[in-house]
Amino acid sequence: MNIELIFQIAGIGILTSIFHTLLKQAGKEEYAFIATLAGVAIALIMVIQLLGKLFSEVKGVFFLY
Amino acid sequence: MEILQVVGVGLIGTVLAVFVKERNKEVAVLISLTTGIIIFIFTLSKVGSIINVLNELASKANINIVYLTTVLKIMGIAYIAEFGSQICRDAGEGSTATKVEFAAKLLVMVLALPIIVAILESVLSLLP
Repeated sequence: MNIELIFQIAGIGILTSIFHTLLKQAGKEEYAFIATLAGVAIALIMVIQLLGKLFSEVKGVFFLY
Repeated sequence: MEILQVVGVGLIGTVLAVFVKERNKEVAVLISLTTGIIIFIFTLSKVGSIINVLNELASKANINIVYLTTVLKIMGIAYIAEFGSQICRDAGEGSTATKVEFAAKLLVMVLALPIIVAILESVLSLLP
């Protein structure tokens, strides 16, 4: 139960939304989009590693080779 | 009292997902996905001990291990497919969720087919 990951992803989400708002206020719409995209990509990489671990564990427990 | 841990993780994940959802919808989906995975990995360690007991009982009852393995495989497919389709549905992609469920049903059918054939053959051998 490593709950830190949930907090990390929530932090990334809040931070990217702040960046998005800031860049939008500054009139840089395209950079705002790229910042959001980068945040989502980083969070996705973290989640996919955990998902791979889950799948390998399910494979082991339920004999799904 | 492990249920308290699970409920705590679920509540924290829900609050964070609802908080982030207004600002950043994609990350909210990832948060709910992570919460689900953490709870799932936690429960999986308990399922392992249950399956060990089932294996022992099956070997004592002289049941062919192939049948038990098939049932366990079907359980695993149903577990994973339900998880994935729920995440898709939460994110508003109902059609993808339906397709995932459809694929899971098909794969379960493929696994169950040899057992169905075996039952039919034994019934046919009983008939005069």
